[in-house]
Amino acid sequence: MSNGNSYLTLQLERRTAISVLARNWALAFLVGLLIVFSFTGRGFLSLNNIENILYLGTIFVFLAAGETFVIIAGGIDLSVGFVMGLSSVLTAQIMATMTAARLPLAETMIVGSLVGLAVSVIPGLISGILIARYNVPAFIATLGMLGITNGVTLSICQGFPVSGLPNSLVKLGNGYLAYAFPGKGFRFFAWPPGMVEDQVRNLIRIVPNALVLWVVVILVLLFVLNRTKFGQHTFAIGGSMEAAKRAGIDVRRHLIIIYVLSSFLAGLAGVYNVFQSGVGNFTPFGASYELFAIAAVVIGGASLMGGKGSLIGSVVGVLMLEVLENGLSISGVPAFFRFIAVGVILVIAVVIDQLFPDLLGR
Amino acid sequence: MSDSTALMRRRSVVTFVGRRWALLFLLLEAILFCLIAEGFFTLHTFQLVFVSGIPLFLLGIAETFVIITGGIDLSVGFIYGFASVISAKLVVALQGTGMTDGLAILLGCLATLVIGSVPGYINGILVARLNVPPFIATYSMLSVTYGVSELIVEGSQAGNLPYLASVIGSANLAYYIPGRGLSFFSHERVPRGTDVISLIPVMVIVALIFVLIFAYLLRSTKFGQHTYAIGGSVDAAVRSGINVKGHLERVYTISAFLATVAGIIYMLQYVEGKSDAGAPFLLDSIVAVVIGGASLYGGVGTIGGTLIGALLLSVLETGLRVMGVPTFTIYITVGVILIIAVLVDQFFPERTET
Repeated sequence: MSNGNSYLTLQLERRTAISVLARNWALAFLVGLLIVFSFTGRGFLSLNNIENILYLGTIFVFLAAGETFVIIAGGIDLSVGFVMGLSSVLTAQIMATMTAARLPLAETMIVGSLVGLAVSVIPGLISGILIARYNVPAFIATLGMLGITNGVTLSICQGFPVSGLPNSLVKLGNGYLAYAFPGKGFRFFAWPPGMVEDQVRNLIRIVPNALVLWVVVILVLLFVLNRTKFGQHTFAIGGSMEAAKRAGIDVRRHLIIIYVLSSFLAGLAGVYNVFQSGVGNFTPFGASYELFAIAAVVIGGASLMGGKGSLIGSVVGVLMLEVLENGLSISGVPAFFRFIAVGVILVIAVVIDQLFPDLLGR
Repeated sequence: MSDSTALMRRRSVVTFVGRRWALLFLLLEAILFCLIAEGFFTLHTFQLVFVSGIPLFLLGIAETFVIITGGIDLSVGFIYGFASVISAKLVVALQGTGMTDGLAILLGCLATLVIGSVPGYINGILVARLNVPPFIATYSMLSVTYGVSELIVEGSQAGNLPYLASVIGSANLAYYIPGRGLSFFSHERVPRGTDVISLIPVMVIVALIFVLIFAYLLRSTKFGQHTYAIGGSVDAAVRSGINVKGHLERVYTISAFLATVAGIIYMLQYVEGKSDAGAPFLLDSIVAVVIGGASLYGGVGTIGGTLIGALLLSVLETGLRVMGVPTFTIYITVGVILIIAVLVDQFFPERTET
């Protein structure tokens, strides 16, 4: 290899390093935030707090994962936040009714969750059909579904959270895989034997159940997006709808499936929300969960023009926003600054994205 | 030959109605409410439709400009709240310096018009100069303006406004007291229980003045033409010598300016500044524009259409409230109407004159 050649290689390598850093700037930023907050926030870097961040992020990981598929395919789904509320309220309502009727606990949980999941598919199916068959812009179709699901949700719960659910739901949703207590040993799924209530502060909790759930879901979706034809087609449609049609992809069917998937994941978030909070929560009107999810996906490197995006990136995006919120509040910064910080960082995200065009392809 | 002419004429009638279905729907809706909602067909309700429609008119027009250029502005709702907070705080602060109430309100509102336009200008720079997609730029601005206004009011509301503010905010052009005749701007003291009929709320007039100015700007000026040109094709606009970047900056600034006007009106009407006052209008303003026939792809849309869209929503909401229907029905109806709007639009494509 000649000198010139190796220089070129070096140059290329350096450029690659910069561009890799720029492409993964969200990850770099996340690490940076972790370092900064570990100095400014007491207890930020504790096991408890890190697990807390991962646990609180669960719902948004689901919403952002669904949104990732939709955005890669060149669409947008504004309804996810309210679909989540619909499934949460419906699941809780069914579980509350069954609990009141003294039906067995296991059946109550399973039936409630399944119905919640099944119904959550409907808004996605409708928006998918509107978008794929009737050429309604995704923004409008899902905005319409946002209003409709919000109305239906409120009509089910009459504007109040649904309560009257068994306690064991919360134990499952907020539980941990394992617990350890210094001197008393280690046990899966339950506190070590012989513990007294007021020792609970020193209990070491290991791996929240919620984390297991979302890691499994993300792994499955990662496989679907990156290793299957379905995933390839998603990228193809987002890259160029025309080209995808000519290549023989059934674009209409594919788009419908993608909106159903997004809606289903929002439903999963809603069902999990019942297990997490022990009540069925409707989505407050100004909550903008959908905008939060879209922001996370964009921070994760997706383009709203379609054809670009990654699930890992979206998860990093969610974690970054969660860490930002958690770290700022632990460091004693008032909540108001969080909004400002999120806005500013989002803009920086996209500007960096513009400044470092993809050198390596996707 | 005459057959085909007749066919064409018939088809064009259908298309004519199809293109104006929103207006038709508005009329049907109003007639329906008059028939079934007791207390809807009154002067009071009629004025209420306009008063509660003020934010939708102004934010809708703000959004119309942006959507015609092919962009979107998610920040208008929160710039609205931001402006209400800023103006409330400024008026109170100016009043504290010993100014008369009237001067404090005037100066406070004027200063707010400038401050409230700043987020829009920043949106414009981000979109035009830094190529940030409008969705992201304005969503960021939503977060920032919400954060800043929450910071200013510290999680509460900005109040303690002078009494004069509420007098201005709830003033009417004329009052009619049966038996005593008509008086302008204020009415004499009357004993409790006397009927005072208020005519034409001043704030509606203020809003309509802004609507007319910007309708003229969009319809009859070069600025308006360029707005459509950019929405039609940015490339073509650049080649025909339009300063696209500067133009986009101005469009986003106009959008924020109109949201600020609406926010100031809110402050005067409700005598407070509230950071999330505009949350419900974030998406409703876009809905009004789309019902009015604009396309999110840009290049199409009119102020008249948006006004019809906004009125349609306002009549719907007022009517359902008069009937005592629960709020969720309104959400569902708006969602359904929005989807119908676009479907109808798909089935009646605009005939281009050749």
